[in-house]
Amino acid sequence: MADAASGSVDRSVQVKLVLLGEAAVGKSSVVLRFVSNEFQANKEPTIGAAFLTQKCRLEDRVLRYEIWDTAGQERFHSLAPMYYRNAQAAVVVYDVTKATSLEKAKSWVKELQRQANPNIVIALAGNKVDLVQTSAISSGSTPSSESEDEADDATATPGESPSASGGEPASLRQVPREEAQAYATEAGLLFFETSAKTGEGVVEIFTEIAKKIPIEHILASTRGGAGRSGGAGGRAGGAREEVNLEEQQSKKDACNC
Amino acid sequence: MSTISTQLRNFKEPTKDQLIHVFFSIPEMPPVPLKDTEKQGTGDIEKMEINAILSLGAQEVEDSYAGKLHLLPPYLAFSSLDRKSVRFTLPLSTVRRVERLNARAGVYALSLSTWHGMKIIVQLTSLRPTADLFCSLLREALKAELQRGQMKAVKGFVKTCYSEGLVSSSGVSDNEREDGSLITETKDGCPPPETEFHGGLGLQFKFPGDPKKLREASKIKLWTTYLKNHGRNLTLLRYPQCTRLVQVGLPNRLRGEMWETLSGSIYLRYSNPGVYDQLLLDIKGTNSTSFEDIEKDLHRSLPEYAGYQADEGISALRRVLQAYSHRNPEVGYCQAMNILAAAILIYMSEEQTFWLLEVLCDRLLPGYYSPTMHGTLLDQRVFESLVTRCLPMISDHFQAVDVQLSVASLPWFLSLYINSMPMVFAFRIADCFFCMGPKVLFQVGKAILKINGEKLLQIQDDGGFLNLMREYFASLGDSAHPASADPRARAITRFQELLLVSFREFAVISDETILSERRKYRNEIVNSIESFSKRSAVRNLKTLGRFTKEQAGFVYDALYKAMCEVPPPPDVAPPPSLLASNDGNQERAETRIGIPTFQVFLSEILTWARNEKIVINGFQQRIDREVAEHELIDRLFYFWDTSCKGSLSFQDLVSGLDGVMFNDLMENIEWFFNLHDKNKDGYLTKDEVLTLSESFLFIFRHEIGDAYLGAVSKFMTNAFEYGDSLLPQHTGSETGVTGPQGIGHNQPYLNLATFRMVVLVDEVLESFFETDLSASFRLEPVPDLELPPASSGFLGDLWSNIATQDNRKMFNRLSDELGKTIGKHQVIYRPTIGRFTKLEEPTARESLISPPAKTTSGSSPDTAVVSSPSSTLGASSINDNDPSSASVFSPMPHLKAVNAAFMERTPFAIDDAGDDDDDSDLDMVHGEDDDQVMDEVDAFLEAHDSGLTEADKAVAKDLLHAEPVK
Repeated sequence: MADAASGSVDRSVQVKLVLLGEAAVGKSSVVLRFVSNEFQANKEPTIGAAFLTQKCRLEDRVLRYEIWDTAGQERFHSLAPMYYRNAQAAVVVYDVTKATSLEKAKSWVKELQRQANPNIVIALAGNKVDLVQTSAISSGSTPSSESEDEADDATATPGESPSASGGEPASLRQVPREEAQAYATEAGLLFFETSAKTGEGVVEIFTEIAKKIPIEHILASTRGGAGRSGGAGGRAGGAREEVNLEEQQSKKDACNC
Repeated sequence: MSTISTQLRNFKEPTKDQLIHVFFSIPEMPPVPLKDTEKQGTGDIEKMEINAILSLGAQEVEDSYAGKLHLLPPYLAFSSLDRKSVRFTLPLSTVRRVERLNARAGVYALSLSTWHGMKIIVQLTSLRPTADLFCSLLREALKAELQRGQMKAVKGFVKTCYSEGLVSSSGVSDNEREDGSLITETKDGCPPPETEFHGGLGLQFKFPGDPKKLREASKIKLWTTYLKNHGRNLTLLRYPQCTRLVQVGLPNRLRGEMWETLSGSIYLRYSNPGVYDQLLLDIKGTNSTSFEDIEKDLHRSLPEYAGYQADEGISALRRVLQAYSHRNPEVGYCQAMNILAAAILIYMSEEQTFWLLEVLCDRLLPGYYSPTMHGTLLDQRVFESLVTRCLPMISDHFQAVDVQLSVASLPWFLSLYINSMPMVFAFRIADCFFCMGPKVLFQVGKAILKINGEKLLQIQDDGGFLNLMREYFASLGDSAHPASADPRARAITRFQELLLVSFREFAVISDETILSERRKYRNEIVNSIESFSKRSAVRNLKTLGRFTKEQAGFVYDALYKAMCEVPPPPDVAPPPSLLASNDGNQERAETRIGIPTFQVFLSEILTWARNEKIVINGFQQRIDREVAEHELIDRLFYFWDTSCKGSLSFQDLVSGLDGVMFNDLMENIEWFFNLHDKNKDGYLTKDEVLTLSESFLFIFRHEIGDAYLGAVSKFMTNAFEYGDSLLPQHTGSETGVTGPQGIGHNQPYLNLATFRMVVLVDEVLESFFETDLSASFRLEPVPDLELPPASSGFLGDLWSNIATQDNRKMFNRLSDELGKTIGKHQVIYRPTIGRFTKLEEPTARESLISPPAKTTSGSSPDTAVVSSPSSTLGASSINDNDPSSASVFSPMPHLKAVNAAFMERTPFAIDDAGDDDDDSDLDMVHGEDDDQVMDEVDAFLEAHDSGLTEADKAVAKDLLHAEPVK
């Protein structure tokens, strides 16, 4: 196929990545932080799945993440296989302030390990760490504005008053970092605690996934002319930022082919 | 961790009667509590349909149409022969006067006057007696409505409709309508009775879109005329003009009411007054998982619309969604419903929205939002198959590059295109959807693909497909022919082009097509959903025990089958949405079964938990299988209910089975001991020893010969002997005489060591615990129920033609009767362990008619129930429960063939395009006047056939002036 050739010429490797996790743990927000480096309260819930792309630079390679952000509500579960088939990477997200969301994450991991692509790279992300950190620690690379804070708390963790996040940070955490880390190690996952709001840990997920992905393998299969070849050709992705994974700084993506 | 739903299995194809009700949007009898007498009043009146010709009285604005008139109390409905040109659904309470017309001989005609002053003339063209019958039934139905007091309800109800104000306010200016002074007239027109009619958020927060661009004023004027002449809200008659007006887009102010009227949700609101308000009162202070889900999405529903940045909008949305999830806990709340509800609330009041949601979830989008979303998956499958047929090139290309259609199309259907397209366009599709039904979604979907055909053939993956669709939707407002020299062609938007292609080229997709396609793929979808939920249920088990996944899968199958037969009662397995979770959603909804379901479950996998009778009647041999009931089964239930919830989950069953199926001799003895040690103190009481003996007898009830019976009686003797002899040591230093007697029935008596000793002295019991107990649990499909026909005679041939379970039962009964009359009927209980007759008996069924059985059968010529001696001791009550597999739905083969043939006659291929330009020329002919609004659709409206000859028309015309019979 013609596209396969052009795909290898621009040396950009396509990586299909799927986001899974319980409803309202912040999957869409993690993607939005990664793709446009912004945080937005009140996003419409994902119906079926949303599709976004982002190019990343790692060493001398350009990775093009094709991100499928899936709906979290339990009943959409049966649709998930449609989105995770052929995925080379998955980010399973849970909410550090909600113990049940880790259980759901574990069942996603199980499902992926049994049903998905056997070589899939899975990362576990405990989101919303900003809610459990004392305000003294500022680890976020891009602190969000004050106005967003309220809205985030209102939608993301119903039932918990926004003021609690400042006052008693320790009590909000329901999933100890060590517990999740231990599980991730045991199950062979990459592990991060993240905050889509502050940006903490988000880019790192995609960096580590990029390092772990068998790129040569993907390239080989692409060259092999398999059906799913690099189809970057026909797409007009608009002007998107490119994330340089090593320096964590963004620059305009000039080549859109 | 998991819920198991057997709902999909219980699906029944709608009956013809139901389909008629659906077609006319007639609600099922109000579920609101009616007084018993009233219920009978309406229920007793017969339904009837009759051939008729419909004419509209007074003004001769419409042709007459032949069709069918249906009396469906409390409604009267009509549809023209083509089922689309003309139709109405009139609540009988809006019929104010019925007169028999004095017409020429042989013509039987009625004149109906409605609440809105319309005169409808129906000429009954059936035979005279039929027409008479129809009239008398109609009279009775009207009387019943009068008695119910519904006639009075009309007045109050119509006031809630916007159209009333619209028509009355413009009524004065009737003569001026042609002079074009109308635009100013409707612009300042907030009609006077504003407080009374129902309306949406749009009245306060503005409607989306530019009213000038949407030509609101022209549309309102056209509708005012139409509603004046053809009735409105409850009494609307739908003539071709109505559909045409809908296709050019409803005016914003009228949109809510027209959606309500066209979808039929108005009849629900009409027949359920006060229900919504009552629901709101009911849910006050309650909570549910659905409510939590709703709360998460409230601020995420059309957030860009001003109404949802204000508290009014958010609260209204919350109330509607909560009320619906409360009314229909099986659906509860599904994401996408928030988007629909938010969109509808712009045009409708909360109450109207609530009833429209009900129509949507129930009838228009069946199963879309259910927990399995089977309706969504099914319609995606149907859509895919329609695309394969009509647009083969696209379908082939998608297959070649491994792109799945539903990655894009699923959200289209699930949210009625509202979150895919700009709202103004999505609402116009919704207009057509409510007017013409679910087929619109498919027609538009295919038109989207066809219009983008060339570009779609270039895409290489899912992502490319989605991006292309995104760009297309964003450009819907652009000109479809920007390069055209003709300004009129340039003025045609891509959206207009889309509707044009949808309704003109894909008109062939009818409601029947959709229905038959759904029938075709339903099984496939149900199977895939079920195997998916089985996989995830097995995967989500906390522990598999020593089972393999396949074995756990079989446990699941047995559980599922049992649930199909005996659904767990709602109090044992409450629907997920009813689980009030005060503890922060810690508890996940989980399917749990009660004892009745458990009995069936066990009978699937445990030989002694079922009774198997071999019935021989001279024509056939078969095995009748029944669920056994015994205290032991209940005991097992509570033994496995480790969390003491009075119910068992899938995990409980797996763990319970794990505790017995892999045991060796010693473990089995201990297991059996613990099963009967109720207080778990390590001792059996005397009572418990007796119960345990009964359990033995129950297990061995069908065994042939005396070996087991002997073993059990020996066990009892030994148990009490050993028990007594051991007692004095426990009771103290007193000499043995009084010691044993001092032990009460419920005092600790026999410990495990003693029990083991007692068991091991008997070889029969030892072998039972060594292998037979574990082996009596079988994780494999229960062998087929019927044996091959004994002889291939007349009945044998008949047998081979029998397909369904019911038929089979009838056949069995028939042959039993025959067998009894010729004295060949006999019934033999099949042993459950069978060690002492012949090992490996399941394969060698013939051998079961062992000598003792045969001799007894001779003794009673009529009916001989032969069983092992112990069977009388086991409380094996025989019931009519047939635990055989639920009958499998199979579409009739010839129906399939007909459908296939029908579908092949629609040769739409992507490459037969090219005539679009001709259409566009037709579209824009007039200048800037009101009629121009209609041009958009004229081109793609098919001809409407009144189904009448000229002579018929003349008769119908005559009737318009006929006098009532005195």
